[in-house]
Amino acid sequence: MLKKSITIFAISLVFAITNLQAIGFTKSATIKPELFQEGAQKEWCPVCGMNLEAFYKTSHLSKIHNHKLRQYCSMRCLIVDMQEHDINIDEIEVVDALTQKFIKASSAFYVVGSDVKGTMSKVSKLAFAQKEAADDFNIEHGGEVVDFKTALKIAKESLSSDVAMVDNKKSKQVYPMGKKIFEKKCTKEIDINAYNQINELKADIKDKNLCSELKESELQALSLYLWEVKKYGDLKNSSDTINVSRDEKCPVCGMFVYKYPKWAAQIFYKESHLSFDGVKDMMKYYFEHKENISKMLVSDYYSQKAIDAKEAYYVIGSDVYGPMGDELIPFKSENEAKTFSMDHKGLKVLRFKDIKAKEVHKLDE
Amino acid sequence: MRSKINIYLIEYAINSLLRQKYKSFFITVVLTALIFLLSSLFFITNSIKYELQSTVNSLPEIVVQKVKAGRHYDIDVNAIDDILTITGVSSAVARVWGYYYFENAGVNFSIVGIDEYEQQYKNSLIHVAKKLDFNSGSSMFIGTGVKKVMNKNYYQEYFNFIKPDGTLKKVDISGVFNGDTELESNDVIVMSKENVREIFDIEEEKATDIVVKVANENEIATIASKIKLMYPDTRVITKDDLKISYQNIFDYKSGIFLALFVVSLFTFFIIIYDKASGLSSEEKKEIGILKAIGWRVDDVLKEKFYEGFIISFFSYMSGIVLALAFVYIFNAPLLQNIFTGYSQLKTSFELPFVFDIQTLALIFFLSVPIYIAATIIPSWRSATLEADEVIR
Repeated sequence: MLKKSITIFAISLVFAITNLQAIGFTKSATIKPELFQEGAQKEWCPVCGMNLEAFYKTSHLSKIHNHKLRQYCSMRCLIVDMQEHDINIDEIEVVDALTQKFIKASSAFYVVGSDVKGTMSKVSKLAFAQKEAADDFNIEHGGEVVDFKTALKIAKESLSSDVAMVDNKKSKQVYPMGKKIFEKKCTKEIDINAYNQINELKADIKDKNLCSELKESELQALSLYLWEVKKYGDLKNSSDTINVSRDEKCPVCGMFVYKYPKWAAQIFYKESHLSFDGVKDMMKYYFEHKENISKMLVSDYYSQKAIDAKEAYYVIGSDVYGPMGDELIPFKSENEAKTFSMDHKGLKVLRFKDIKAKEVHKLDE
Repeated sequence: MRSKINIYLIEYAINSLLRQKYKSFFITVVLTALIFLLSSLFFITNSIKYELQSTVNSLPEIVVQKVKAGRHYDIDVNAIDDILTITGVSSAVARVWGYYYFENAGVNFSIVGIDEYEQQYKNSLIHVAKKLDFNSGSSMFIGTGVKKVMNKNYYQEYFNFIKPDGTLKKVDISGVFNGDTELESNDVIVMSKENVREIFDIEEEKATDIVVKVANENEIATIASKIKLMYPDTRVITKDDLKISYQNIFDYKSGIFLALFVVSLFTFFIIIYDKASGLSSEEKKEIGILKAIGWRVDDVLKEKFYEGFIISFFSYMSGIVLALAFVYIFNAPLLQNIFTGYSQLKTSFELPFVFDIQTLALIFFLSVPIYIAATIIPSWRSATLEADEVIR
């Protein structure tokens, strides 16, 4: 009897594994998904606006203010929402990746870090009702089996880097795409401030035909652009590099600046301005003449765009040389400066006010 | 200061040339032919160099291909998300493209897929993206070479692509695609990514390769190595790699040109040597008589200078004009074939007109002053001798 049950178990296990392999794992729903939110916006996540059906197997469900149900595309959006609303952890539900039914998250087993790609995160977190199912999945796809609290903790810790990753993609790819779609397809006025959540906006665009027909990915790009950029103004023009005319010479070293547009830096006075072929020369000049400056611009190393010199981060002592040798290399964000410093053996990252004349002059030695 | 040019001397020089009709004619023909050959070579190399340069410049900074068992494979589109997180990357686009073999004509078309709202990785594609009708489902822009081939095969308004499963995909021709360079656009067909995926049977989640744009050129190498670390199963090709491989092909081909160049230059200098090694006794006698009737040495040299200048400058001008016509009007038949080793379709590209003053100057200084020197020096040698000594 025992032998028989073991064989059956073994056969079913083998079957389950081969079955998984045969179809490959997908995060989208293979059955009709259960959508709990009210109204037309129920198809989308209220935090990021992504389609819930497409990321159904990482979907989470919570109650805010003890009655209103909110369904998220992933644990990442749940955590974002937890920071804003009062959510009872015990009431959170999650989709069982195997049966695709909602189960209590607190009793679920999470497989974290498998080879399945995460939703809005670098690390995927898939929930299973049964420990065995989680273990099977773990054997097949790698990762680690943990409980809900640990999974939540991992997600919280990686939140800032996940946000950075998604933001990167949004600003480099999604927003420009959304802008193009908006300009081409949307003729009607859209009052973005009338919506509380991005999924309401999405539902209205789709149902009220505010724009002509769109695919889901196009709709997402458009909504993100409207929701996160258009609401607060518009995309900045991307071609705002420092402009140097052909006759401008660096007042410190006397070289023509237009030949080294990558390194251009400028100091503006009320009516005139001076151009420098690198931050080093600009700083040398700045230490001598600090009066009446209206603004200072430097070229961000990575994007080559003009940024405010006083807001920038500078890497000193790297192996990258400017036209005048060792340089202070400017960056828009601290993260970029640190990455650069690691890539190019920089000594330290400085803010504008921390740059000392001694250090600048030492660069020339 | 009185005018330095003596009309009578020029007249005498022309007459002297006409007196020795056959000799002058022969020298002019040989010089013209040499200059023609040299300048044609230079014009062709310049044009092709320009064409390659602009092709290379329009290339993306980094191309990422997946390689499996040493062969190119379709790459996962999701890799874009990771690549975009690398600092310094300004954009990454998944390309869907491939070669379609058109059996009836025995040629390959390059089919390129574009997305309406994506950032286009090439300037020429921006215009197409604006004009191409993405909604109708099947419309394409084709290069001039493709148009010719299709028209020859009676495809005027549409073309039937044969999909891998044997069924047909009909796509309407909605216009002609003009790239930045002839080399780039001649065999190209542009259509929506969905259509390309259908024709080549590429999955939604896959792409042919990923192109990465980098704002700061200095960072290309760092970013390329980071991508390689992220995806060890890829081949990461930077713009410099591509430049080198293009340059290699070009250098190999220009070896043949160099051989031609050396041969023609050698011929030229033999003629010069022949001239410079001495004057015929008749010419010597002429100089002697001129001196005897009262010409000064500098008059004789001036006359010889005019003679040499007229012949060499005339040959230079006609050689250059002939070469320009040969290369840019007739597209350098015969010579061009040295460079074009592509499929049948590719060879029809036209050489772009590049006017390079340096090349013209180089040829000028290789021919005119050297020839003039070769006429003046021996004359000067005879002219400095006593008249009676020369005549005797």
